[in-house]
Amino acid sequence: MSQTNSGKQSQASEAKKAISLPISRVRLIMKSSPDVSSINQDALFLTTKATELFVQHLALTSFNNRSQTEANTLDYSDLAKTAEESDTFHFLTDILPKKILAQDYLKSLEQMQDEDSDF
Amino acid sequence: MASSSGNDDDLTIPRAAINKMIKETLPNVRVANDARELVVNCCTEFIHLISSEANEICNKSDKKTISPEHVINALESLGFASYITEVKDVLQECKTVALKRRKASSRLENLGIPEEELLRQQQELFAKARQQQAELAQQEWLQMQQAAQQAQMAAASASVTQQASSSQDEDDEDDM
Repeated sequence: MSQTNSGKQSQASEAKKAISLPISRVRLIMKSSPDVSSINQDALFLTTKATELFVQHLALTSFNNRSQTEANTLDYSDLAKTAEESDTFHFLTDILPKKILAQDYLKSLEQMQDEDSDF
Repeated sequence: MASSSGNDDDLTIPRAAINKMIKETLPNVRVANDARELVVNCCTEFIHLISSEANEICNKSDKKTISPEHVINALESLGFASYITEVKDVLQECKTVALKRRKASSRLENLGIPEEELLRQQQELFAKARQQQAELAQQEWLQMQQAAQQAQMAAASASVTQQASSSQDEDDEDDM
């Protein structure tokens, strides 16, 4: 009896080591992509694990490139900066409105107004 | 948290799972709340990115289902080739775990009893059942026989009384 119990436990911990994100949720998100019909179970495992690695990768890269190097914190702006400056993470700029300085915005607004007056 | 909207695009990885991963990756680092929220949304965006690319690759092949190969090629073409070795390892692990689980459950069903013994017990049960069936059938046959005999006797006595009464009728008829 104890043998099967410890066998089950080691199986569970093996599975825990393998994947921590909920696979079913990943499947739902994948299926909400346009045109995606059916996904092989193994392909689902791969995508889930890749997403985990992505989170780790994004967090680490952003932290290492953070603007405030003296502080042990990770800010929204650190993530945004990484998305802007990295090729790999550039796809994230779609969901990241970059926070621009007010003076830059006013400057670009002026430029637009000048262009309009040319017509 | 119940989801009130049925909008597919609101699907995200649970916040708790992301928080846990961030904690494990960056221990002792304070992460702003809006940064966490952003990571959650980035995950969804990443999954969409990989799915779309893998789907395109799948469409170009003559397959209808997105395969592991398609996902790996998608990772490669999108600049995430560094993930490939590790995701492949995990896939192998998942398969092994699933295989072990199947073997373990079949082992549990035969807990302690070797297969020959199980077979022997099964044969015993079958033999017993056959015997009971035979006895039952025999009983029914006997009952049927008895019932048939009784019916015969009843029919015989009935015909005797009939004959007696019909011969009387004939006499009566002659007299008329």
